[in-house]
Amino acid sequence: MTVFHFFNCAILTFGPHAVYYSATPLSEYDTLGTSVKAAVVYLATALVKLVCLATFLKVSESDSFDPYQEFLKALIGFIDVAGLYFALTQLTHRNISQNHKFQAVGLGWAFADSVLHRLAPLWVGARGLEFTWDYILQGLEANANLVLSISLAALGSLMWLRKNKPKTLIPIIYICAGIVATMPSITSYLKRGLGWHFPKVVGFELFTSLVMAFTSWQLFAACQRPSV
Amino acid sequence: MAPRKARKRDMLVESVYSVIALVFVLVTCVELCDAATVVDVYRLIQYDISGAPFGSRLASLNHHAGSLHFSPHADLSRTVLMIPLRELNMTFVTEYIVQRRPLGGLLFLLPQLFNFENRDGTGSNLQNHGKEPLKNLLEELEQILIHTNLPYPVYFAFEDEDVNFVLTDIKKNDATGQPATATTGGCKFVVSAPEPKKVASPTITNIQGWLAGMKTDDDASQLPTIAIVASYDTFGAAPALSVGSDSNGSGVAALLEIARLFSLLYSNPKTRGRYNLLFGLTSGGPYNYNGTHKWLRSFDQRLRESIDYAICLNSIASWEDELWIHVSKPPENAYIKQIFEGFSGVAEDLGIKVSLKHKKINISNSRVAWEHEQFSRLRVTAATISELSTAPELLEKTGSLVDARHFANETAITRSVKLIAEGLARHIYGHQEKNIHIFEDNSNLAVNPSYIRSWLDVISRTPRVAPFLPKDDPFVMALKKELEDHTDEVNLQREVLDGMFTFYDSTRAMLNIYQVASVTFDLLLLLVLGSYLIVLFSFLVITTRGLDDLISLFRRPPSRKVKTA
Repeated sequence: MTVFHFFNCAILTFGPHAVYYSATPLSEYDTLGTSVKAAVVYLATALVKLVCLATFLKVSESDSFDPYQEFLKALIGFIDVAGLYFALTQLTHRNISQNHKFQAVGLGWAFADSVLHRLAPLWVGARGLEFTWDYILQGLEANANLVLSISLAALGSLMWLRKNKPKTLIPIIYICAGIVATMPSITSYLKRGLGWHFPKVVGFELFTSLVMAFTSWQLFAACQRPSV
Repeated sequence: MAPRKARKRDMLVESVYSVIALVFVLVTCVELCDAATVVDVYRLIQYDISGAPFGSRLASLNHHAGSLHFSPHADLSRTVLMIPLRELNMTFVTEYIVQRRPLGGLLFLLPQLFNFENRDGTGSNLQNHGKEPLKNLLEELEQILIHTNLPYPVYFAFEDEDVNFVLTDIKKNDATGQPATATTGGCKFVVSAPEPKKVASPTITNIQGWLAGMKTDDDASQLPTIAIVASYDTFGAAPALSVGSDSNGSGVAALLEIARLFSLLYSNPKTRGRYNLLFGLTSGGPYNYNGTHKWLRSFDQRLRESIDYAICLNSIASWEDELWIHVSKPPENAYIKQIFEGFSGVAEDLGIKVSLKHKKINISNSRVAWEHEQFSRLRVTAATISELSTAPELLEKTGSLVDARHFANETAITRSVKLIAEGLARHIYGHQEKNIHIFEDNSNLAVNPSYIRSWLDVISRTPRVAPFLPKDDPFVMALKKELEDHTDEVNLQREVLDGMFTFYDSTRAMLNIYQVASVTFDLLLLLVLGSYLIVLFSFLVITTRGLDDLISLFRRPPSRKVKTA
């Protein structure tokens, strides 16, 4: 029964990635290589982030919210953006359209993140006898994260790859990208600064991810229009 | 274009509604419960009497929990009943335990009152009139449990916040008519314990202290000896909880105090009596005083013959104004008369009523109800001083669950000590007729209540079921050391407990309480997740490739078949 529960949670955590890949044209254009490369870049970025966190952050004894530390953490979090930039611009992809490229990169990115952060706790925890909602919520969080990663990749591709975009939209794009990139810090603040419970945080994440996905989609569409 | 979009939206809205409905169904299925709770539990004793099994025969437990509010026709063979002592009624006991109906297990919740680890005395919020019925109920339950063969695990635990929280949860579930099973989920009790193993050759340890009397030069013959004996081990429903404050911790504490008093007297040559004093802390008391038997057998003939009389102490901590002197020779016997008159004289001075009770020994019966009977069987004059008016049955009054520190009264012990010590002193120094108080209050020979109290406290925190005491148990070593302080010579005697008893280990365990989800919940969750993924897939296909693609996805396989055909 508990293996069953683990199986359920695993479906919730990793299923959407597979569905996204197979449902969208990504599978038709065989962009798996791009996703894998993005995942590798993610791993490297995570390593760099770990080193930075270990170097610059104090180990906080209490679980309280320390603004200075959190600011540092947010700054280090921007290494992610650098990693994404590298993945989007520097990697030599096969000749796929920008449209598919950012999706593939975002997908690989989110999948690597899920595997790295959620697989081990799931394996250890969800097979236990005790039932908690935590692993289901964690799966939902993985969904939100997928959406956010793709949004960030979309915004990144708008920023760095698309040259002729409407001038008025540029600040909005940057603001959105900034919000999406600082999402980990925002959730951390909600959790520890305001003492929100996990279900509430996940709900917030799901909501914001949908909002951000919608805005970035609109932005993407708006940028595409003049070029067409 | 427009109607197609509208249709799409309708479809989406519908699927979203169904998902939301399913989520609501899920949420109502399982109530949230916090993380796993771990509780200390104490297993009912498991033992054989000449091969006949008694007690709880299993240790490991993995069943769903239920409360007493089960429906009368429910199958309880896979349910652990969690029963607070306060709610226990005897009809349940006779119906399920005595008639041995199948159960998954039993967990009795005892009030903190009986918890010897509860040092600050909290939990005594019960009114005094509430305690007695509980005590009697537990005593009755205990006797039933230890004399029944129960083919399932039976555990005891103490009520505390965590346990009560779980209990209210279970009750709530039972009240809705949904007992916890695999299909509905609920609380699951897990004790992972290995199969109980037989305790190989249980040892019993007797401790003997010798305080030599003053020998005058012209007196060639051996000095007479007075023996003071108390058995210190216990037997109770839960071996890990069997502390026996009254039976017979009170006797041990009194014996130590008497030893201390006489060591003071005997340390001065002027007050050293012409009697040797022999102090014996014997083991195996609950098992027909097997330790006493072995101890007496180990004496050489001369020592045994030199014993003038033996005084055995048994359960002297909860009497009001009457003590009993139990003997096995008729009261007309000169020695018995002498003992009784000696003590009743002192008792009169102290305002205590002492009565003599004669119970004949039946040699053919292996049951030894009083410790002095072991002496009497070897023709040594002996008596037991006890608050009990009648001889207890086998395994009764030997340190049961109810015999907690809370119910033991140290002033009763102090008074008993005074009576016994004064009686002995009058006999030793030959002051029978005179009204002389040797252990006068406020003198340096006064009975020390705080000494008695501190020993009673230690004893009341130490479970002492002999087969489960290791060879060099710290408690036994402490008793030995204490006697060494008060007497000239201390010997330890280790013997194998013989007779018909076989014991099984694993007396305490950890109970894990899990809140588990049901299989139904997991199936529903799978259903929800599946539909979520399908909806997501359709949504993505529709938004990125259009509805036609989605429809063609389902149409393609048959068309291919046609082609290959």
